[in-house]
Amino acid sequence: MLQFDRVSLDVDTETLRADVRGFLAENQAHFPKPNSDFVTGHDAEFSRKLGERGWIGMNWPKQYGGGERTFFERYVVTEEILAAGAPVSAHWIADRQSGPLLLRFGTEAQRQTYLPQIVRGEAFFSIGMSEPDTGSDLASVRTTAIKEGDEYRINGTKIWTTDAHRNHYIICLVRTEAASENRHAGLSQIIVDLKNDGAQVRPIANMAGGEDFNEVVFEDVMVPADRIVGEPGNGWAQVTSELAYERSGPERFLSAFRVFVELVRACGQHPAPHEAAAIGRIAAHIMTMRRMSISVAGMLENSKDVVVEAALVKELGNNFEKVLPEIARLAAPIGASRGAFRETFEETLLLSPSFTLRGGTREILRGVIARGLGLR
Amino acid sequence: MSETQSTLQLILDSGEKIFSDHCDKKLLDQAEAGVFAENLWQQIVANGFNQLGTSGSGTTAEEMYAFIMQCGRFAVPLPIAETLLVNCWLEPGEGLYSVGVVNNGQIIDVPWGRKADKVVGVQLDSDVVFVVEQPAVVEQRVNLAGEPRDTIALPDDAPTVDVGLDPFAQLALTRSNLMAGALQTLLDLGITFAMERTQFGRPISKFQAIQHALAIVASEVAAARRAADAGVDGLQSERFIPEVAASKARIGEAVTVAAEQIHQIHGAMGFTHEHRLHHFSRRAWAWRDEFGNEFHWQQVLGNHLAAVGADNLWSFIATRG
Ligand SMILES: Cc1cc2nc3c(=O)[nH]c(=O)nc-3n(C[C@H](O)[C@H](O)[C@H](O)COP(=O)(O)OP(=O)(O)OC[C@H]3O[C@@H](n4cnc5c(N)ncnc54)[C@H](O)[C@@H]3O)c2cc1C
Repeated sequence: MLQFDRVSLDVDTETLRADVRGFLAENQAHFPKPNSDFVTGHDAEFSRKLGERGWIGMNWPKQYGGGERTFFERYVVTEEILAAGAPVSAHWIADRQSGPLLLRFGTEAQRQTYLPQIVRGEAFFSIGMSEPDTGSDLASVRTTAIKEGDEYRINGTKIWTTDAHRNHYIICLVRTEAASENRHAGLSQIIVDLKNDGAQVRPIANMAGGEDFNEVVFEDVMVPADRIVGEPGNGWAQVTSELAYERSGPERFLSAFRVFVELVRACGQHPAPHEAAAIGRIAAHIMTMRRMSISVAGMLENSKDVVVEAALVKELGNNFEKVLPEIARLAAPIGASRGAFRETFEETLLLSPSFTLRGGTREILRGVIARGLGLR
Repeated sequence: MSETQSTLQLILDSGEKIFSDHCDKKLLDQAEAGVFAENLWQQIVANGFNQLGTSGSGTTAEEMYAFIMQCGRFAVPLPIAETLLVNCWLEPGEGLYSVGVVNNGQIIDVPWGRKADKVVGVQLDSDVVFVVEQPAVVEQRVNLAGEPRDTIALPDDAPTVDVGLDPFAQLALTRSNLMAGALQTLLDLGITFAMERTQFGRPISKFQAIQHALAIVASEVAAARRAADAGVDGLQSERFIPEVAASKARIGEAVTVAAEQIHQIHGAMGFTHEHRLHHFSRRAWAWRDEFGNEFHWQQVLGNHLAAVGADNLWSFIATRG
């Protein structure tokens, strides 16, 4: 059955929190328009500064440049940065997903090559899972990587690849063997250097006016054989574990947080009853989701299996990220139709369709939860 | 740590044992017909569960509220939460005690006021309560779930006591925990029914629409559980009121979602009197409105945060939690 341990952040994190706040105050110039969505705002310089402070790869082993800090300490840093609306997209995937993937499954040489660069905020990673004909049904990927001597020849197309035009590397899920009865066999993950290996990257404009995701085309792209992450053929197990671990962080319920801040500002010190209720309603949800998310961080710290709990936090959090702007919209006072509230609201509303898609759709997550309940 | 864990587990386990033995559908039906569950009450007293959380009992407030959540899980038809709070506020005793809200010279909505040896009247935004010994029943009423909610006379000379911590909010917290418990049962009933009921040649749990409905409910139940814990953790801090506000407001919303989905899953069977489901859904619905509904507590929290201000909003949210 589902279990959320009753954990809270230990007091030790308070100095760290104060440090992060001090850092953010000093670096305000990096985010004149705060946005809490982790995909918005790619700032290599800002990421390098975070790296200097030891706030990337915080809980990785020291031998790879990590800080060997706790999941709670990492939690504090990530939530502070997101809530402030600082630009994090450059290092986010490397820190949250690619680094931990290499730590769990990568070869020793891969860890030594990539992890120290990630920690310094100098190597940024993209995720190459989706393809034109492969969305939720990830095992249907068609991009191939065929071994030829000491190299792999890659052919195929990845799509919706966030920041492929800005990042250094992409980890692609590919077929290294022809599809067979067992759809999950013959898949591997492979690292491609986006600047040097010859993949063609074409940005795709999104409806919010940004160009953050891309099409990445591989036409006979040759990469050295040691770029396979871990064992060839182990791709499915790796990719599912990667997705499970990245699901429960504060970025899953804080994407719309700045709308809340501007709502409170717009309503002022003496809100009308319906304004106060809207503020309280949003806060009640955020406070509760934060507890749930911290609980998962605590269970990760204690090496517990949290696949279902993490999916649940993402499902609940992503849905609320969409509801938040709607509650705010209806409550916002007349004067808020101009100024910071409106600007933040509109920007977030236009991003909101993506909240319940990226990282696994709401429907897929509900399936994961249902399995956890023993229904499938 | 491990010792308190085991005390808690012991309380929950023996509570569960007593409730599964005694608190069945028949007892619930009788209680709703006005019959007091005397036997069950005696079991509670004999096990000392009416003393949880009092200073002399060696148990904590956390354990008391966990037990109240357990009562919600079984829809226990007794004023246990009220008796426990009165024992915490006043000199603890062995009687049956209850609590209501002072309104126009009366104490209204008193659970089982007709059976109470003592009734306490609380007021909004005041730590001072009125104590009425040998209470006189003005009117017998029930809530949506058929739970007695009586009107009690408030004599002019009723003594007052300052209980220190907002009593109305403490009562709201009991409702948060009762709802969190009932929500767990709603989910359990939904899962069991979905796996047993067959249509189109397979259990309805195999249909994706049903799976997703249960996933939604599971999320709400998990959220309610964390929100209830948060309110209890707030007892020790200056954040008590906003934490209770968040819990009562959040859990009320969870009830609305969960009760609707679980009834839908049960089809017509869940609409019958014979099925147990309504004992839990009606209680959860009723508890949303007792001691401040969602809107009330959202406003309390919202006004608090408006005073905190936009620039300190995050600091307020990001406490130890
Ligand atoms: C902003 C953004 C950034 C992204 N960044 C990346 C990235 O960096 N790298 C990357 O690889 N991908 C990325 N993605 C892609 C993302 O992972 C996919 O959008 C997601 O997996 C869903 O795939 P799809 O869009 O093809 O939708 P589909 O899978 O085609 O689904 C369409 C609809 O059908 C539903 N559906 C599908 N299957 C089922 C089922 N079995 N049961 C019920 N309903 C179902 C879905 O839930 C959805 O509502 C990004 C997406 C967005 C929006």
